[in-house]
Amino acid sequence: MTTDIRLQRPAWTAAGRSRRVRVAARLLLVALVPLALFYFGWLLAPERIGQPVLYGLLVAAELFNLAQAIGFWWTCAGERQRRRRVADGPPPAVDVFVPVYDEPAAIVEPTVAAATALRGADVRVWVLDDGHSDTIRALAERHGASYLRRTPREGAKAGNINHALAHADAPYLLVLDCDHVPAPGFLEATLGELEDERVAFVQTPQYYANAGSGEVPAAAWSQQALFFGPIARGKDGHGAMFCCGTNVLFRRAALDAVGGFPADSVTEDFELSIRLHERGWRSRYVPEVLAAGLGPEDMASYVSQQQRWSRGCLGALGAVRRSRLPLRLKLQYALSASYFLSGWTVLIYMSFPVVRILTGAQPLAATTADQFLVHFAPYFGMALLALTWLGGGTYTFKAFALQAASFWIHVQSSVLVLLRRRGRFVVTPKEGVHERQPRAVAPALVLLGVLVGAAVYGLLRDQDPATLNNVAFAALHVCVLLAGVLPALRSAPVATPLARPREAVPA
Amino acid sequence: MTSTLTDRPRTAAPRDERRRRAGPVPAAPVRARRLASEQLAVAGGQLGAGLGNLVFATIAARVLAPGEFAQLAAFLALYLLIHVPAGSLSAGSALSPALAARARRRVLAVGVGVGAVLALLAVPLAGVLQLPAGLLLAAAASGPTAGLLALDRGRLYGLARLPRAVGSLLAEPLVRLTLGIALALVAGPLGAAIAVVVAGWVALAIARLDATGPVAAAPPAGAGATATVTVAFLLLAALQNLDVLLANAVLAGEEAGRFAVLSTFGGAAAFATTTVPLMLLGRRGDRRALHVAVGVAAGLGLAAVAVVAIDPGALVGAAFGERYAAVGGLAVPYLLAMALLGVARVLVAHACASGARTGVLVVLGAGAALQAALVLGAGDAGDVAHATLAATALVTAGAGVLALPRRPALADLAALARRQDVAAVAALTVAGLVVRLLSSRGIWLDEATSIWQAQMPLGELLETLRTVDVHPPLHHLVLWVTVRVAGTGELAVRLPSLLAATALVPVLYAAGRDIYDRRAGLVAAALGTVAPFAVWYAQEARMYALFMLLALLVTWLQVRIMRDGRRRDWAAYTVAAAALVATQYLGLFLIAVQQVAFLAALRHDRRGLRDWLVATAALALLLAPVLAFGQAQFAANEAAGKGFQQVPSQTGGDVAEAGGRPGPYAVLTNVVWAVLGYHGDATMTSLVALWPLLMLLVLALLGRGRSRRTLAIVLAAGVPAVALFALGQLKPFVFEVRYFIGAVPLVLLLVARAATSWSPRRLTQVAVAGIATALLAAGLADQQLNGDNPRVYDFRGALRETAERARPGDVIVYTPAYLNHVVAYYAEGVEARPLGEEPPRPERGGRVFVLASFLDKPQYRDAAAEAVRALDRRHELVDESRYPQIRVWEFER
Repeated sequence: MTTDIRLQRPAWTAAGRSRRVRVAARLLLVALVPLALFYFGWLLAPERIGQPVLYGLLVAAELFNLAQAIGFWWTCAGERQRRRRVADGPPPAVDVFVPVYDEPAAIVEPTVAAATALRGADVRVWVLDDGHSDTIRALAERHGASYLRRTPREGAKAGNINHALAHADAPYLLVLDCDHVPAPGFLEATLGELEDERVAFVQTPQYYANAGSGEVPAAAWSQQALFFGPIARGKDGHGAMFCCGTNVLFRRAALDAVGGFPADSVTEDFELSIRLHERGWRSRYVPEVLAAGLGPEDMASYVSQQQRWSRGCLGALGAVRRSRLPLRLKLQYALSASYFLSGWTVLIYMSFPVVRILTGAQPLAATTADQFLVHFAPYFGMALLALTWLGGGTYTFKAFALQAASFWIHVQSSVLVLLRRRGRFVVTPKEGVHERQPRAVAPALVLLGVLVGAAVYGLLRDQDPATLNNVAFAALHVCVLLAGVLPALRSAPVATPLARPREAVPA
Repeated sequence: MTSTLTDRPRTAAPRDERRRRAGPVPAAPVRARRLASEQLAVAGGQLGAGLGNLVFATIAARVLAPGEFAQLAAFLALYLLIHVPAGSLSAGSALSPALAARARRRVLAVGVGVGAVLALLAVPLAGVLQLPAGLLLAAAASGPTAGLLALDRGRLYGLARLPRAVGSLLAEPLVRLTLGIALALVAGPLGAAIAVVVAGWVALAIARLDATGPVAAAPPAGAGATATVTVAFLLLAALQNLDVLLANAVLAGEEAGRFAVLSTFGGAAAFATTTVPLMLLGRRGDRRALHVAVGVAAGLGLAAVAVVAIDPGALVGAAFGERYAAVGGLAVPYLLAMALLGVARVLVAHACASGARTGVLVVLGAGAALQAALVLGAGDAGDVAHATLAATALVTAGAGVLALPRRPALADLAALARRQDVAAVAALTVAGLVVRLLSSRGIWLDEATSIWQAQMPLGELLETLRTVDVHPPLHHLVLWVTVRVAGTGELAVRLPSLLAATALVPVLYAAGRDIYDRRAGLVAAALGTVAPFAVWYAQEARMYALFMLLALLVTWLQVRIMRDGRRRDWAAYTVAAAALVATQYLGLFLIAVQQVAFLAALRHDRRGLRDWLVATAALALLLAPVLAFGQAQFAANEAAGKGFQQVPSQTGGDVAEAGGRPGPYAVLTNVVWAVLGYHGDATMTSLVALWPLLMLLVLALLGRGRSRRTLAIVLAAGVPAVALFALGQLKPFVFEVRYFIGAVPLVLLLVARAATSWSPRRLTQVAVAGIATALLAAGLADQQLNGDNPRVYDFRGALRETAERARPGDVIVYTPAYLNHVVAYYAEGVEARPLGEEPPRPERGGRVFVLASFLDKPQYRDAAAEAVRALDRRHELVDESRYPQIRVWEFER
């Protein structure tokens, strides 16, 4: 008898080596600061200015990345060892919301079944079906869960949850995406954190059980693991952990205090967190895999997910700026939201060799490769070392490549946000397709073509060291982009949530 | 009703009867130590017998008149003539003692017949041979013992009846020395001859005293195998003596005499190992016994070589007189040939016992044919000696192949894969050897110095190294032995480097397979086949190829120790590490990194602490004399005001400025050299410009996880280089890829691992491995074929052509002065001197050749220009030639 892979023991742990990470982060920071000063001191010298526009772009990109790097280190250094709290007293009532919108029953059913079996509370499971499916209704009835439909279906997931809030009245609310199967001990591990009356919500990791089923879910999971590992632990230490939309336990009173989920954002969870923190509520993060879900199976799903997140987070930058958050929290939110501007730096870096080959213009002047390497290489190496060490080795090259190849999503989102175009909430598909999806990566393919063309043109025209150097840079970018888009160019077998014999997910 | 008595089953057979019916009990595996001690005990007896017989001959020469001693010597030659062919029967009876027992009557009959014939012909033969008939009758009396003694001694070897065997061996010289000397005093040569015959009978009697059954025996061999091994040993005996027989026919008298002396001398090495294969035959089927036998034979043979190599001229002169001292130059190669023959006998014995009858006879026949062909075309004793060396090498190699394990179970896929791997690695090794042989170039300065040093007597060599050199002595000692075995030709002096660099291929496979998996091993071997650096330094008579091999070995052993912690790995590591530092002092960096790694591992697991302490203490003991030597070198160089300054080095042109402090570009340059080899300046500049691709490599490491074994290899490769980079900020010349060349094979290993593990797709793995190999091959091709390679200094071309054109009275003047050794190497016989302050003045009719190199350095460029101008004022410039990095001007009065 085969069972869902989400029911298997997770192959990852969110728990960190708190003290060692803190010490390592501080040591790395101590090492990095002088290296950064050394590099930027050299970079920002007036005689370094080559073509002014290109130079300005380079400096902007480098400063942005420096800010992100320092932010990363600062966040990770905030990690604290928390003692796990266990709830006292009789089991409280907990509403469990499982929003559904046209997902297959095979995906939804294990979640509903597991939700009804949660221990440590008097659980009432609500299936919030915006898909209006009779199959889902029957599924809910089969497992003794409540079933809700609504019309009209406004506000996407946020609206769906807000509609359900009117029907539910438990003091605590657990929100689970329909693909995230909770462990039986989920509530036992999280309710204790809400004994502090100031805590509004407790977030737990979003673990992708299908990480091993393909290149896209593997790379996507690698990115997730970096966030739900050292970053989330660090944010928790800073008191800045934000809600991530699923696997999160709320205090109903906190939700009521802010009027429920904001329905005007595609990242309603991010905005909700800002509002809660603004009002003095606190958040917690429990670094324990208590639910297992499914990551994007194919490139189109991944792109859709990233587009929603980048639109939502970039769109929230204004809210962050306007918020009355303490400075530390404001910076944390700004860091998280502005991460989705990193695609611009990728575009800038990748354009430099093209411009140099085609026009001869370059951002830097009065320098040799030796000088550049002396100043840049230690800083670059230390930054990668920090990422590797603090990230616990979870961040892979494939994840990096996928992120780089998704640069256009950030660019597109930035433009749309600037143009104040409203985004549309699109549910990330939970099942992949096994066709090639070149359209999902079309912009990256275009840039690939430009880089290859420029490199070939450069080699045909001249083979002097300067040209070769820029061709090498172009080749570097081509390799990274290619690694990022390759999953979309290969047809892959569809991964089904089928696996080995039943093995319960431990609490 | 049945009685229980009648119904009782028949009683079981007596225990002895049951055992007899079960057949011979297979022998329990014997430990290597016991096998070795058995071999050495019998070999000791053999040596003792030889020594005793030699002492007997020496004493007899003193007590007998010269004419009488000559008669005794003739008798002994006749005695040997009867006994040596019969000696091959020992092999047959060692293989099959039971068959030997059945052949006794026939052998006795033959022996009696031979004796009878000799007795009947004694009188006429006496006239022909100018010997007393009594001596011939005495020889006839030894006829029956010849075959029987061989049979019985062989039986003793086969049954491992060591006391009897050794007793029989020692009985002969004992009787000769006692009875023989006494009778010689009384009855002259006849008395001595009678004692020799009696000694043979006594030895036979002792051998026959063994009457009890077998202690342990391998399953009996068939008659065919027995006959084959007998014939094979007869052929081996012929191979041993064929050269001296033919040399007597083809060489002039004096030259033939020189070779006869050489043959007598060389016979010692072959004699020492006579019993080893015979002892092995009794343990056929036991591969451990084969390994021990090969080890003992090789050890005894090489020991003889080593003893003679100390001062062969003096030894030969002392033994045979000063007029033969010059033969000493051939003693080492000839003794090596005899040592190889000793090993070949062991392998032949094993091959015969394993059933490779036809192969054995083919190999031996081919060896004998080759030897005969070469000797018949020989012009002097040296040619004959080298002919024997070639023939014995061929026979040893052929017998070695035949001795390889055969017919692994095809059903065992792992064995099948391993067999395929062996074929692939063998092919890669051969290909690597061919590539290295084809990549020859002229001797470089450092090589010329090393060759000059290697030709010194040993003591003088060590003193020279101590006072003027900066390198440890191991490679120099290897070269010292090499020039005595193989001469000073280009190929000869580079043989150790060639072998070490070629050995990298199979060792890379073995290490890669053991540390990672067979794919990584195969790819590593493929990379090693065409790795430009490995090929370049295979053709340089310096320590770099050996250093690479040892660095790979110590790192491999380090990983094994950290994984398994076996004592034999610790022992091997200690020896290899000591050898590494004795090859190049900078190996200490690598050893230090490894010691830190061991300590770090011991922090978590103390179980290996004792072994580490023992190994470290042993390593310290082995390194103590090396480091003391280094300290003495440093002190001597400091006292001479030189310090460990830069020796003339080949530069990479402008890409990495020699003399300036190393920076990132120097790092990149050295990385390119290490991976892709040496190239012209333009190529290097272009390659270094591709440095952004290294960023890709660094990014590709993201998320690869941590592997202790890979980390160990990375640290072993990288830390010494980083340390030298740091040191290079103070002394720029130390940051040169030659000084951390040990990293090269480790990098190849890491590349192989990356190629076979970073992608799960087989096609990608093959593609990446293929691209990597192709890149290295392209680098190799450019390195070897591109005339712009600044590392190529064609001293060979320049000096050979100059020497060919030079006439008596001509002179070569050269700059810089340290070209002296390379000039002497290629222009031996032509007067040459360094460019001095005064311009050279050739004698009337003589010519001056000005040879200049390192013209990128102002002092040499200016000196050469000044000399050329000065000569141009008074002489006619006849010719000006350019060679890679060399210029030659020819002036005539």
